[in-house]
This record gives sequence, C-alpha cells and structure tokens, in this order.
Amino acid sequence: MTFAETAGVGTADAVPTPVLAARTRGLRKLYRNTVAVDHVDLDVPEGAVLGMLGPNGSGKTTTIRMMLGLTTPTAGEIELFGARLPEAAQSVLPQVGALVEGPGFHPFLSGRENLLRCAAAEPLLKSAAIPAAVSEALERVGLSDAANRRYRGYSLGMKQRMGLAAALLVPRRFVVLDEPTNGLDPAGTREVRAVIADLHKSGTTVLVSSHLLSEVEATCTHVAVLHQGTVVAQGELKDLLEASNAGLLVSTPEVTAAVDALRDNRIPARAVPDGILVDLAATSAPEVVATLVRADIPVYEVHRQRTGLEDLFAQLTETP
Amino acid sequence: MTTLAPVRAPILRLLRSELRWIYRRPRTLILLGLLALYPILFGIGTQVVDAPVRANGDQSVVAAVAGNAMMLPVIVLSTTMVFFLPLGTTMTASDALAGEASHGTLRGLLLAPVSRIRLLAVKAFGVAVVSAGAAVMTALIAFVTGLIIAGPDSLVTFSGTTLPLADGLWRVVVATGWVIVQMWAIGAIALAVSAATEHPLLVMASVIGGLFVFGLLSSIPVLDWLHPFLITESWDSIVDVLRDPMPWENLTTGFLRALCYIVIGYSLALARMVTKDS
Repeated sequence: MTFAETAGVGTADAVPTPVLAARTRGLRKLYRNTVAVDHVDLDVPEGAVLGMLGPNGSGKTTTIRMMLGLTTPTAGEIELFGARLPEAAQSVLPQVGALVEGPGFHPFLSGRENLLRCAAAEPLLKSAAIPAAVSEALERVGLSDAANRRYRGYSLGMKQRMGLAAALLVPRRFVVLDEPTNGLDPAGTREVRAVIADLHKSGTTVLVSSHLLSEVEATCTHVAVLHQGTVVAQGELKDLLEASNAGLLVSTPEVTAAVDALRDNRIPARAVPDGILVDLAATSAPEVVATLVRADIPVYEVHRQRTGLEDLFAQLTETP
Repeated sequence: MTTLAPVRAPILRLLRSELRWIYRRPRTLILLGLLALYPILFGIGTQVVDAPVRANGDQSVVAAVAGNAMMLPVIVLSTTMVFFLPLGTTMTASDALAGEASHGTLRGLLLAPVSRIRLLAVKAFGVAVVSAGAAVMTALIAFVTGLIIAGPDSLVTFSGTTLPLADGLWRVVVATGWVIVQMWAIGAIALAVSAATEHPLLVMASVIGGLFVFGLLSSIPVLDWLHPFLITESWDSIVDVLRDPMPWENLTTGFLRALCYIVIGYSLALARMVTKDS
C-alpha cells in the first residue's frame, strides 16, 4: 500500500472513542416552500453498514447531501466523528468517501485521467502515491481494462463503477453510497455487495441508500427508513425485523383450548386458519410452547411468522 | 479517536490539475488554434489583397497594416479582444463552475474536500491563465508575423514616426498586458455568473450577449451618463499605443475600470460560492 498516512490514525487518545460515525439532530431542509426533509435524527454507529431505505422523494439524497456539507440545512445539526459540520469539514471530510447522485466525470477524459483529477484534490493522498492509488481503485472496481478509454464511451454500469472507484481512492473511515447499484447488472450488484462487505470487514462505516430492499437486507447491519422526509424507523436490522414480526404460528388441533390456555397466562393469542397466532410482544417463543405443553395441548409445529424487510417497509411507508 | 486535524491537498497540485484539465479540453485547443492562425492569415491577407484607398483619402485598416510591423499586433489584439478573447475567457469560466456542476464533478471536488474559497481561487487562476495565455500567444504570433512580412525597420506609428524594435516591442507588451486585464474583468464577471447557475450555455449567452448590449448602449448618445460604467467603453483606446508620444490617459481609465469589474465580479462570485448548494 502506498497510500499517504492519515493524520495520526490509530493513535490512542485521551478522548473516548465516539460511538457514532455520523449523527444528525433535527435536520430540516426547505426548498422554497417545500419541506424536503424534517426532524431527521439519524445515528450511524461506527463500524456499521447502515441501509437507508425510502421510496423516491423521501429525502434520502437530501439528507446525505446535508451530511456531507454539499447542501446547507435550513435547521438542525450534523456531526461526523463527533465534529460539527460545516466547521470541521476540512478535518473530517478527507476521511469520507462518497458516491452521491450518480457518478460525475468529464466525458472527454479517460477513466484514469478522471480519477487522477479526483485524486489531486484528495488531501490524504501524497502526490507520489496518486498513480498507484488510481490504478488500485480501478482494479478494485474492475475497470482496469477500460481505464484508458474515454469516459464518454462507458456503459451505465461502468460509469457507476467509476463513481465507486472515486469514493474508494483513499482508505476511508466512512463511505457513503447513494444508490450504488443503479444501472448495474446482477454481477455488478454482487460486486458492489462484496465491496461493501470488504469495507465492513476492514472496520469502515458504510451508509448505503437504496430502494432495493433485498440489497439492504443482504448487506446491512443497521437500517433507517425514511418516509416523506422523516425517519420513521431506525436501528439494528435484526431488532427491526424482530419488532415487526412479533408473531408465533402454532399448529394445533385444539384451537380453542390452546387460546384459552394462553389467555389464562396473559399471553394474547387468536385463532387463525392453520392454528393459532401468538403475539410475542410481551413474551418469548419457549414460554409459549411451555405454557401449551403444561396445558396438555398437542403441538404439531411452531414457527415464527417472518415478515421480512419488504413487509416492514410497506408497513412503515404506507400512507395512512 | 483519531486526531482530526484539518488537511488540505497541496495548492500547486490543485492548480496543475486544473490547468491540465483545461488544456486537455478539445474546445480550448480548437479556440487556441484559431487564435494562432488569425494573425498569420490577417498578415498574409494584407499582403495579398490590394487594398484600395478609401474615397476620403484615408487608408483602410488593411492598407495601414500592410508594410507596417507595428500595426499588425495591435490591430489583431483590438479585433480579437472584442470577440475571440472574451469568448475563450467566458468559455473557460463557464466550464469552471457551471460546467463542472452540470457534469456532477463539482460535488467531487467539494467532497474531497477543497474548500469553497480555495476552489474559487483555483478556478479564477485557471481562467486568468487561459485568457492571459491566449492574449500573449496571439500578440506574439502577430508581432513575429509582422516582422517577417514587413521587416524590423517598419515599426511606424499613427503619428508617422518610426520606432526602434525595443520600443515597438514594449508597446506591444503594454497593449497585451492591458488586454489581459480587460479579459480578467470579463473572466471575473463570467465566473460570478458561472457560480450562480448549472448551465454553462447561460454563462456564455449572458456574458457574450452582455458585451453586445454594452456595444449598443455605448453608441446611444442619450445614454452618455451610462457610458463610464461600460467596460467596452475604453476598448477603442488600445490603438493609443500606436501614437507617438503615447497618451496614457484613456488606457489608465480603462485599466481602472477593468479593476472595478474584477473586484465586483469576484465579490459576487465569492458570495454565491459560499452559500451555493451543490
């Protein structure tokens, strides 16, 4: 690796490690009279892969742009690694790589020339290390063979890869990817997933916005759901999924007896076509099974009613 | 926690990268090529065309240039400064901010990050280098062409005196420097417009269109109170370098007027730049 040493990475400091790579409070953005984003309190824990989900126009990109200092918020505050933006931009943004609103490059330059130009502006890259860093980034996104062709002739997927390469020019602490799989074929999508997994493994915090729920479910540790400009849910992916599918499906021939037995123990349950559905909000699966067995009720099968991210998303973003 | 000290990319690296980008653009190269050809064609044209003397006995410009090595660079500068040089300057300025914004590359620079003030400085530098480079190249080629065609003994002024080579060169340098400052003024205004829009064509249209409107306004006598505010007002004074002795008054006024445009242009550009959403 020939990357420039980042300022004091790894040095122990008296200040405790901040748990959050990014934090926003009361973020609000007005465009003329339209509220694009309002009351966004977002926490991106350090080391997490946070998937930002939301339908089109829910404020994902606006939030990301404000978090990166590209757009000035109408109100609210933004911290990256515990430092306030925009004041601390010059110290924190070099550690942040981003692909926002699609890749942006000059059509008359080759892929390599374009990246050389990006690299020249990167504060953490030493001049001597630039050519190697560019080659490495091109290699990483699989563009080495097309590096000397003009960007004009690139396919949509190749352009998207270029954007990814620019975000990965320098080893980052935080990488923000706005719809990174746009225009990519299934193989490209898998590669992006692999890049995200790589980043995660090396301890980099990743924020990835996507409308592809399966993407988020496959790659993320945390999820934030945006709807109409506000965060309607956020937290660890497994917690969110758990909270949303608090149902246990029990197959039994003695439906009435089972429901009664559970209700006697103050466990809410109701009859459904295949048996009974138990609400797990206040109890746990083993306890339900134990209660039923103690009441001598035959149990054929017990399984969690999985809703998955798709249903959760639908629940959260359906306009009432 | 890592120590978070502000870090910046070396400014020389940014400037070099900016120039490299500008001079790799096909359109920059085409415009420079045309500018280089213009004095040569103009010089040859004056030799080939047998220019008639006008009815009132005055020589036409073409006839005046023929056989006079002093005349060619100044006339070439005075004709390019009303169109080709402002065009090149405005084109570079429109690509600098509006063009980069429309390609989405401005984001990349701001994210690196290059601070907004530094970015404007880098862009201003690029525009200044292009306009100065174009003016110097044009003047140099014109001067050399003139010397080749008419010989070093033919540096004749409007006043009829013949200048020694060093004096002639000095006057061409003054004229070139003066034109460069005028172009920097155009560049400042163009960058201000460029910072305010995402459409490079809008920058071209408003600045080049503005110059035409200025030309119109200055020809309307009723609006003479407005004339001192028009940058084009002093552009005719470039031919003053062809008089002997050289009258400095109008050139100085034009210089100061251009300085005002530069100050105003960059103030507006800076104000827009720091608040701009990109």
